[in-house]
Amino acid sequence: MLTTGANETSESVADAAVVNIPLPVVEQARLNRQRADTYHRYHIEATETEDRQKVPRRFNVKVGRFGLAKLLVKEFFKYFGHWDVVFSRPCTYGVFSGPVGGFKPRPDLCVGCLRCTVEHPDFVTVTHNPELAKLGDVYLTSKHIATIDEEAKKGTVPVRGQGYRGRFGGPGFDQMFTDMSEIVRPSRDGIHGRELIGTCVDLGSKPMYLSFAADGSLLNAPKMITIQVPFVFDEPSDVVGDGLVPRIYAKAAAEVDTLAFLPSDTVTRLGLAGPNVVPMIAAERIGGIDSFSNGTRMVEMTSWNAEAWATVADHPFLISVRLPFAGDWKTEMMQMIDAGVSIIHLVADHHGKADDGRFVMDLFQEAHFALVERGMRDEVTLIGSGGIAGADHLPKAIITGVDAVSLGHPLLLAMQAHLSGDLVTRGAAEVRLPESLDMEWGVQRIVNLSCSWRDQLLEILGAMGLREVRRLRGEIGRAMWCGDLEDEAFGEIEGYAGGVN
Amino acid sequence: MAKEFSKPSPKLLEKTQHLMHEGFHTRAFPDTGHGLPEALGDARWTDELITATWYMAETGKCPDHLNYKTGRSGGGFDRLAFKSLPKDQHLAPDAEVDISLELNRREDGRNKRRIAVPWYGGGMSYGSVSINVMMSRALAAKKWDTLMSTGEGGYPEELYACKEHVITQVATGYFGVEEKSIQAAPIIEFKYAQGAKPGLGGHLLATKAGEEVAKMRGSVPFVSLFSPFPFHSTYSVEDHMKHLDWIKTINPTAMMSVKVSTPHDVDMVAVGSYYAGAHIIHLDGGFGGTGAAPEIAKKNIAMPIELAIPKVHKFMLKEGIRDKVTIIASGGIRTADDMAKAIALGADGCVLGTSDLVAMGCTRCANCEGGPSGRGCPWGLTTTDVELQEYVQQAWGAERLNMYYTALSSRIKEILRELGLSTIGQLRGRTDLLRYISGGEAE
Repeated sequence: MLTTGANETSESVADAAVVNIPLPVVEQARLNRQRADTYHRYHIEATETEDRQKVPRRFNVKVGRFGLAKLLVKEFFKYFGHWDVVFSRPCTYGVFSGPVGGFKPRPDLCVGCLRCTVEHPDFVTVTHNPELAKLGDVYLTSKHIATIDEEAKKGTVPVRGQGYRGRFGGPGFDQMFTDMSEIVRPSRDGIHGRELIGTCVDLGSKPMYLSFAADGSLLNAPKMITIQVPFVFDEPSDVVGDGLVPRIYAKAAAEVDTLAFLPSDTVTRLGLAGPNVVPMIAAERIGGIDSFSNGTRMVEMTSWNAEAWATVADHPFLISVRLPFAGDWKTEMMQMIDAGVSIIHLVADHHGKADDGRFVMDLFQEAHFALVERGMRDEVTLIGSGGIAGADHLPKAIITGVDAVSLGHPLLLAMQAHLSGDLVTRGAAEVRLPESLDMEWGVQRIVNLSCSWRDQLLEILGAMGLREVRRLRGEIGRAMWCGDLEDEAFGEIEGYAGGVN
Repeated sequence: MAKEFSKPSPKLLEKTQHLMHEGFHTRAFPDTGHGLPEALGDARWTDELITATWYMAETGKCPDHLNYKTGRSGGGFDRLAFKSLPKDQHLAPDAEVDISLELNRREDGRNKRRIAVPWYGGGMSYGSVSINVMMSRALAAKKWDTLMSTGEGGYPEELYACKEHVITQVATGYFGVEEKSIQAAPIIEFKYAQGAKPGLGGHLLATKAGEEVAKMRGSVPFVSLFSPFPFHSTYSVEDHMKHLDWIKTINPTAMMSVKVSTPHDVDMVAVGSYYAGAHIIHLDGGFGGTGAAPEIAKKNIAMPIELAIPKVHKFMLKEGIRDKVTIIASGGIRTADDMAKAIALGADGCVLGTSDLVAMGCTRCANCEGGPSGRGCPWGLTTTDVELQEYVQQAWGAERLNMYYTALSSRIKEILRELGLSTIGQLRGRTDLLRYISGGEAE
């Protein structure tokens, strides 16, 4: 009798021994079964979490009282007895359904269908709320902010009717369209069914081959960790780095199973060390990484220093090194790789620009292809940071070559932070969080945002027929560049002098 | 379950319709003393484009006081214009111009069908829109000797009155597909993907899947319906041929249309569809779409129609099959000028969806999926709410479209005359008649 071990009991283990299957094999099979039985599909638990601070409404609604009164009197006599007509309102969203109807409209409920102002142009006016337009800046627009707010509130994928409403192409991430396939899916079960698309990514170095000692033991076990989503949480600016916010980041990172990068002093002071927290340590203090315990898996050196690196290169923790896109960053990146750094955290400003004004989509590609040319792409993990302001930026950044991205402003916006001042320079924005911010609410808002962005990533991957996000990295062939397509489509047309973007 | 509303009383119906219709007039006409609604429009469908469409749907003419040609999206159609040829090259203003379009260019014994105008109505399913909207479009298609598509939601009984003008759509969920509706149709449209949500299938939210809609689709009322992606029986062009054979068995004379999105290899997809037996390759660009779609899909997945048309046109020319297939463009076609530009870029004709709805009063508020009220479109268009859907009556809707099509037709003829062309077919692929406006929008 040969048993597979799939349903082994202690008795059958004994039977198995009779047919000379070594016990460790059977035991391993039992453990595998145990693990399979406890398998659960990765899922982020989103729960609708109401706003704590009022977001500027989309529309202002003004009703002329005299005009309304005149209408009511007229309709009262004209439709006397037909009370459904007299009391009908030109709004299905309740803007005029308060106690005194149109005399005190409720513009917070307005969705901009404009039925009221089309039907009653004499005395109803609906305008865009200028307060909403004031949010953000030229890159992080009020639309991004309102969308993030909705995503953090509901944890769902924003869905609307009537097609696209914006510019044809655009700068930055808008210059890329992503590909799709007419007939290929990762599986045949559909994105809304049982289809499984992996969003986990590995941080660290994957050896290109395995080496074994004479006794069969593995000599170069991969030194890496896996997180469930291709995004991590970058440090909050100093302004809000004092207590609650870092704790929220750490807890949300644990719930989502990603990483929160936090200043090492904050981690120590608040006792946040753990498997989902990455203490950020200055190079000159890197020798102190042994002080982090409680399951810490990774730390980050905040700048490159070859001597400091040499002292910790063999440390069991994974160590990432932060590298701003400034000066001759590429040469520095190559020095880091030569020294054995396996995780590089590339950092641009909040508009996704390097100090020379180049955008991260170009910079990520340059870093990625430099590694490809060296034949080392899988031995180094690239985390890209800067300019990520919407869910679509995530897959687009990965297509251009990074393994994962780190999020900055979107996390603060998920907690309804009001950002003002300099929104370009890292750590420079003035941040005003809701006064009633608390741990549970903040964590859930970030978890919701993570859920929404992951689900939107699944939409992109599903449309392409990709089974996992790891295969998207550097897949430039999956990108369609607006400028290139315009050249191809309009190149022969008189007056065409290159794409508009 | 959604809260039930009742049909409006005759008085309420009369009052509401009067106010709506008056409102469309007041906002679109210059002499009423009211300007355009301040919060109306966006970069693609500007306030002027929307109100110009209302004007055309009322008068059958293009307005002098509004830009009815282009939006402000900064690219594509909005940067293209037709060249101004010397007057002596124009045709006379009253010269006959033929804008009809033959859809079957294969000699395969199937129906030949020439539609009177180079456009037809795109698929909007029963459920995503009301029966009144569907019938308005069908009646207008009948009057104009063109077509409209059922979308993927079945073939309501009333539509059989216009069956010669109704395309039956077979999509991935097979909702409402039955032998009878396939036998009735002159054209069967296989929807592989749609531009607004390429590669993602369809989704009818629970609130819109009421009793009648569910009955038509063979589903449970007020349960969300997902149309999966892709066809679970299609892995290749050969599999697609099996689909066509299946239809051929049921309706041997029907033409086949294949509706696809615009990925990187859209040219190869089109050629494959042709060799599988398609008469019409229907390219659906990423910027259009009338139904609810994930915001991330609309802009980002697949390419705009302006960029896909020349790609497919040129590739099919190179393959030597361009004259054996009809290329229809949709997904972002807003105006008569857009249509003419699409044809100049290489399409044979176009499909309209959003602009039909705008002609019937849509303000593009984007709450088609239900919005906060859960009842769908407040104008009664993209809704099956028993009260709201009554506000669009069939006769009124059909007449609005009739007038709108009159304006489109006259504008397309005007463009052709100014280009010295006497048939719409002569415009196809004539990029030499276009110019690109690099420093601003086209007029």
